[in-house]
Amino acid sequence: MRVGIPGGLLYFRYGKLWTSFLQALGAEVVESGETTRSILSSGVSKAENESCLPVKVFYGHVLALRDKVDAIFVPRLVSVKKGTHTCPKMLGLPDLARAAVEDKVPVIAPTINFQEGMWANYRAVYSLGRLFTRDPLRIVRAGLEAWSEHRLYLERLTLGLDHRSALKGETEDLLCEGRELRIGVIGHHYNVYDTFTTMSLLDRLSSMGVDVVTADMVPEELKRRELRRLPKDIYWSYEQEVAGAILACTRYRLVDGIIFMISFPCGPDSIIRVLCEQENRRMGGVPMLSLVIDEHTGEGGFLTRIEAFVDMLRRRKGIASEVREAVAV
Amino acid sequence: MKISWPHMGSLEFVMSSVFEELGLDYVLPPPSSQRTLELGTRYGPEFACFPLKTTLGNFIEAIEAGADTLIMVAGKGPCRFGFYAETQRRILEDAGYRFRMVMLEFEPNKLPATIRKLKELKQGRPWRSVAWAIKFALSKAYLIDRLEQQALHQRCLDRERGATTKALERCYRMVWEADSYASLRKVEQEAFGLLQNVPREERETVKVGIVGEFYLVLEPFFNLGVEEQLGNLGAYVERSVYLTDWLRPSGNNPVAGQHDREVEEAARPYLTHFVGGEGLRSVGATVLYHRNGYDGVVHVMPFTCMPETIAKSILPRVSRDLGIPVLSLVIDEMTGKAGVATRLEAFVDLARFRRRARDAGIDYSLQPAF
Repeated sequence: MRVGIPGGLLYFRYGKLWTSFLQALGAEVVESGETTRSILSSGVSKAENESCLPVKVFYGHVLALRDKVDAIFVPRLVSVKKGTHTCPKMLGLPDLARAAVEDKVPVIAPTINFQEGMWANYRAVYSLGRLFTRDPLRIVRAGLEAWSEHRLYLERLTLGLDHRSALKGETEDLLCEGRELRIGVIGHHYNVYDTFTTMSLLDRLSSMGVDVVTADMVPEELKRRELRRLPKDIYWSYEQEVAGAILACTRYRLVDGIIFMISFPCGPDSIIRVLCEQENRRMGGVPMLSLVIDEHTGEGGFLTRIEAFVDMLRRRKGIASEVREAVAV
Repeated sequence: MKISWPHMGSLEFVMSSVFEELGLDYVLPPPSSQRTLELGTRYGPEFACFPLKTTLGNFIEAIEAGADTLIMVAGKGPCRFGFYAETQRRILEDAGYRFRMVMLEFEPNKLPATIRKLKELKQGRPWRSVAWAIKFALSKAYLIDRLEQQALHQRCLDRERGATTKALERCYRMVWEADSYASLRKVEQEAFGLLQNVPREERETVKVGIVGEFYLVLEPFFNLGVEEQLGNLGAYVERSVYLTDWLRPSGNNPVAGQHDREVEEAARPYLTHFVGGEGLRSVGATVLYHRNGYDGVVHVMPFTCMPETIAKSILPRVSRDLGIPVLSLVIDEMTGKAGVATRLEAFVDLARFRRRARDAGIDYSLQPAF
């Protein structure tokens, strides 16, 4: 059975987990690969106008896979941590995928919900495995194997590799190498690591001689400590990471500046942005640039803002701004 | 302590009735207006959802009118509504207003804190009378909901345009003045009589259901009077959300007449999981309207509302499968009244032609939607 995994949204976090689990079960995994212009434009034309950019990209990935596979794998992640939810769009994602492919291809959608305890999740994963094999031991083994691969992948992200090299297992290109300027590029995985929609922001920054700190690289403990200070708990699990990382970066001066990557019109981010900007100001924190990207974002304007921000940070830090070469990535 | 709260449909009757009953000081925010919207969009985050901006505007106007304590319900997601209070508190503080925001949260682990807050709000009135005041206010709200429903059903038959709306306004006042269960019962009879005595004429009507996000469905100023416009265009209107239904925790919706489980079951072929807010209800109610022989569904949603965006992505599929026309109206501060009016007119015409075609036995399959 050929199973397609769309390379959008949560693929940027669980891609490794999903592919290795399905491969270990003996399925032939077809990935839609990285976002391209044609994927984006087919997604934009098919998706609802009001959807956020990553959802449109996701639509594009689903459509790219539609004619190549026997089934599309879109898990429904209701909650990945006790007491929190994911974004509503992720709750409805399999249904959106079904609407996108118009029932030409079945959608495999196990429901993962940590509010309901581990047993429900185990059963969801197990019944997913039963679609491919009848051997219970093989399912359990595939699960454990996939989980350790996933842990390794997350650890690589924590060490400062970007999504692509962490997936491939390369360990050379570190985002943070101890250069003089360090910028936190913080946002959802799919906003930070998608090289097409962010116009290779991470590569560009590192060719400008800037170290990048992503939300994964901020220590868990600091994030948790920051979140505990907030008067009202944030109930979106991925937002918790984003807000925690921004606040930790601010309070402990982990970075010289923060670029907050938001995709238009992300619901939770619009709320978290208010919170982060205010807390940042109160702590007398670090300069913060909120970059809102959508499918119309022009490369020129985008680049200008990044360059201006970097220059501003250089001047602030008193580093002589070197003559910059044209950056082509 | 001068207490205030944002507007939402007939919520003002419920809340002010509670405070009147207890003899507490309160400030009714000025009715929503263009200025409310301007204030809200000036201070509100750029692509936060529309209700956040309008309620923010209400708060600002309430503070200007002398309120110092603002009440807002908070929750725990996945919709943004649960975070409104916190966000608005931060925005208003930044804007330099002086006030206290009381967040009421009703999850089990937050209940003790909420009870403490309520204790402070009630300012020494006994719990018994608080409970009675709330119960009485909810009875009033229930009556108002049923009157509104009656108005929705009969507006299309008005001999004189706007007669039902005028009668409904008189009903509101009568309900507002009722001060005991005995007088409420009397008002109930009088008000229904008043509505039923509005002069009518026989007319060809179509049946249209309204689904969507509860704030916009309930708030006639911000949904640009969709219900009234539809009624004036000759549509028998029913809506999927009423205030008391929404407040009822049991899942039973006596006014709208659709149990939550029924809605969920109806939505299952299209949307299989709760997505926050009214997303699931919008899809399910559309299916139920189709089953009950409605000619069309108008879906009202605020711009960037997450659950309704999902519903909007799925509704075209429902519409194609079942052959019921669905009009999605996305409303934000830029929406013009004329644009909405034109689309509603076209929609009601479409529904009417389809009804005639069906009655005459002509094929009326849907054309591809855009």
